[in-house]
Amino acid sequence: MLDKNAVGRTSPPTLNEVEKGAIRRFAEALGDFNPVYYDEEYARAAGYPTVVAPPTFPACFHSSADLRELLGVTVKSLLHTEQTFEYERPILAGDRIFVATRVADVQERTGPAGRMDVAVLEDEGRDEEGALVFRSRRTLVVRSSREP
Amino acid sequence: MPTRKLYFEAVRLGDEVPPLTKGPVDRVQLARYAGASGDFNPVHVDDVHARSLGMPSVYAPGMLVMGMLGQLLSDWARGAQPRRFSVRFSKTVWPGDTLTARGRVMERWGEAGKYFAEVDLWVENQKGELVLRGAALVQLFFSADDENRQRAGQPPLLVPAPKESLRQPPPKPPEVRLPPAPAAAPAKKAASAARKAPPKKSARK
Repeated sequence: MLDKNAVGRTSPPTLNEVEKGAIRRFAEALGDFNPVYYDEEYARAAGYPTVVAPPTFPACFHSSADLRELLGVTVKSLLHTEQTFEYERPILAGDRIFVATRVADVQERTGPAGRMDVAVLEDEGRDEEGALVFRSRRTLVVRSSREP
Repeated sequence: MPTRKLYFEAVRLGDEVPPLTKGPVDRVQLARYAGASGDFNPVHVDDVHARSLGMPSVYAPGMLVMGMLGQLLSDWARGAQPRRFSVRFSKTVWPGDTLTARGRVMERWGEAGKYFAEVDLWVENQKGELVLRGAALVQLFFSADDENRQRAGQPPLLVPAPKESLRQPPPKPPEVRLPPAPAAAPAKKAASAARKAPPKKSARK
């Protein structure tokens, strides 16, 4: 069972630099060849200051979150069941974004396969001035084993 | 170079987002996505590992499929700014699967010079099975004129746009009171009759 006291636990913010090459490789991996992800001139003509990142790009940001520390268990397996992004503004090449992960909720549910633990993790990305850039919420079904 | 843009004035309730077919998903794409996202969970890239867990093979990370749905959203809403994008994953995607992403405009409204549309989004596999379901909220300029004004530092166009919605209000709980048992069978009947009531009503319209 997950530690109910984990709710509210937050990892310290970690710097993520949004590189043009990383945006390009991410878009290529999706098979998405929209030039706003590749071509600076095109992106400017489309109204952006520079190359922009695809909407699910924050999925590749790092935070210093260690699930074992955050949730207080050894994670055996994870199933990603829900995902939400909220954007304050587009994410652009050259952005420096600080990402912190917070345990937003921990629940025990009973499903057809028996008891399971559900954790909701919320990432928050802020720029160097501290302004919010995005929020990301992941719902995970966690199978865990207690630390001995 | 002129790029096609989507403006609020052109968005209608019930509009279908042009479908996008992706795939078939293959192991090279899974490896590419692992590299690009930094998620090297072996269940997505290592067949030997996946089989040792009882899976038939590696499978696609949910975020890859959400990323494909993001392409549908961005291709449709060019020039608009996504505000919220959410999904619920319901079915595993395997190598060889071909996916079709679809969407439909469910709500549109404007307030104080800001204009919004909400779309339902979903992805089906080649068998027509639902792989994930989601929704997105996008903010748009009202028109090209509105965009030009705002880019020139002028205030936005103010056009009244009260909320229009295709969403059904949440169904009221059935009023039918179950008879005070022991009759289990009639109670079931009453409950199923209550469930059937709303569709009948809408069919008459």
